[in-house]
Amino acid sequence: MTSSAHTTLSNIKSNLQVFLVSVATITVAFSILGLFLVIFVNLNSFLTTWSKHVQLIVYLEDDISKDQRGVLEQLISTNPDVESMTFISKESAWANFKNTFSTKKSDFIDELKFNPLPSSYNIKFRPSPERFTKIRNFAELFKEREGVESVEYGEKWLRAFEKFMLFIRIFLLAVGGLLSLGLILIISNTIKLSFYSRQEEIELMLLIGATPGFVRIPFMLEGMLQGLLGGIFALALIKFLQLYIQVQFQGSLETIVRGMEFQYISQPIILILLASSVFIGWMGSYIFIRQFLSPKFK
Amino acid sequence: MIQLFKVAKSYGGGTPALADINFEVQKGEFIFLTGPSGAGKTTLLKIMYRTEKFDQGQVLVNGMNIGKIPDRKLYLLRREIGFVFQDYKLLVKKNVFENVAFAQEVIGANKKRIRFKTWEALKNVGLTHKKDSYPQQLSGGEQQRVAIARALVNSPKIILADEPTGNLDPEISLEILKLFEHVKKSGVTVVFATHDQEMIRSRNHRVVVIKRGKLVTP
Ligand SMILES: Nc1ncnc2c1ncn2[C@@H]1O[C@H](COP(=O)(O)OP(=O)(O)OP(=O)(O)O)[C@@H](O)[C@H]1O
Ligand SMILES: [Mg+2]
Repeated sequence: MTSSAHTTLSNIKSNLQVFLVSVATITVAFSILGLFLVIFVNLNSFLTTWSKHVQLIVYLEDDISKDQRGVLEQLISTNPDVESMTFISKESAWANFKNTFSTKKSDFIDELKFNPLPSSYNIKFRPSPERFTKIRNFAELFKEREGVESVEYGEKWLRAFEKFMLFIRIFLLAVGGLLSLGLILIISNTIKLSFYSRQEEIELMLLIGATPGFVRIPFMLEGMLQGLLGGIFALALIKFLQLYIQVQFQGSLETIVRGMEFQYISQPIILILLASSVFIGWMGSYIFIRQFLSPKFK
Repeated sequence: MIQLFKVAKSYGGGTPALADINFEVQKGEFIFLTGPSGAGKTTLLKIMYRTEKFDQGQVLVNGMNIGKIPDRKLYLLRREIGFVFQDYKLLVKKNVFENVAFAQEVIGANKKRIRFKTWEALKNVGLTHKKDSYPQQLSGGEQQRVAIARALVNSPKIILADEPTGNLDPEISLEILKLFEHVKKSGVTVVFATHDQEMIRSRNHRVVVIKRGKLVTP
């Protein structure tokens, strides 16, 4: 094993430039992949943060009866997913509205002689993974009720966002798959060059009694090392970028969405990235061995 | 130790390189394999080492059926045999010591043993003073002796030597011959291919003569 590692290192040394170019290529490819991942992770956390503010608003008709209201309140308070409910009367809605726009001193609002706003129930839901679906289902339930004018829960937004996230997920998979394929070919090619520079020696090795494993392992290690180094450099690069963005833009991000911060890739994803970089390196050497080395084991 | 039974081999040309070859080499025996150029000596040795396939017959070496060894087990055969290649096959980027040590390295020997065995093998062929030279800095005869040292360094059970004295002057040739005979005394089986009729006559080892791919009685 130590001798294999030694051989690997001397292989790399004798072909250092090609090795470095390959590592750099892997770094770039993984950085691209990692950046997409970071964007994905952050969009996801944005969605989660934002979704905390999503609530179901049930607007009531002006002529709703006491009984009808009782039925609605009964429905809301018996639902286990509901966290809290506030009733906002026509008057307080109007007061709120005026308050919000008071600085503008809009004559238009002041001139309105009647209150155009309906009274409403603002319903907050408990956090849960299926929150959106629950809100949606609950909203459907209310739409048809008597006394309900309309319901609102940012439905269009939600749908669009979900679709977008699905698209990004597929996009990530596709880009990741293609990049991985390219990397495997690049790595196997690098190993091939390292093989060519020592072809005579390797053929002699097999001729005088080396086991196939003895010949194979240094190439395996070389491929995996390429992948691993590429993965590590890419992660470092993304980390630097993240720190930069954090320092530069954290303030403005906070103002867009409260509690939102720019996140680095989480630890499990780091491990998955590193594992896949090593795996890709291994695949590269495996392809080289299958196509090139194994036929010489005779 | 080595048995060939009805072995035939053709390289695809008109006349076969080997036809109906039958012979046996006992354990610890020393034989000369001779015949004119192009007779098939190298082909025969390569078949025993399985670097060349054969078309018909059976070949047994050290109890292994050569035709049936799977590729991944081939190293087991090669480790029992020290092969002196007619074209030496030295690595130009390695010096004399490293070239000989290489055979030890590929079978996974430890450093201390590699140093000891390599030094011993170089002493045997009288090349310790050239241990730091590179193949291009050596004469043909010296290169040949490096190849011999490399074939001996793993203490094989069988030595297949393809004209190991082809480039040497009579004096050194005799030294090399004595070296192989010395190895034979410790129980090693030696097949020594050579053109040198005088050398053959000077000893009374068994002689196998091959002409145009066929065995002939000397
Ligand atoms: N790789 C090959 N492809 C085609 N023909 C070959 C090949 N190797 C050898 N031959 C032919 O097989 C025959 C035997 O060759 P071989 O090398 O075994 O002879 P040899 O007895 O070792 O000769 P020499 O004494 O010159 O080394 C020759 O006719 C040669 O041309
Ligand atoms: Mg020959």
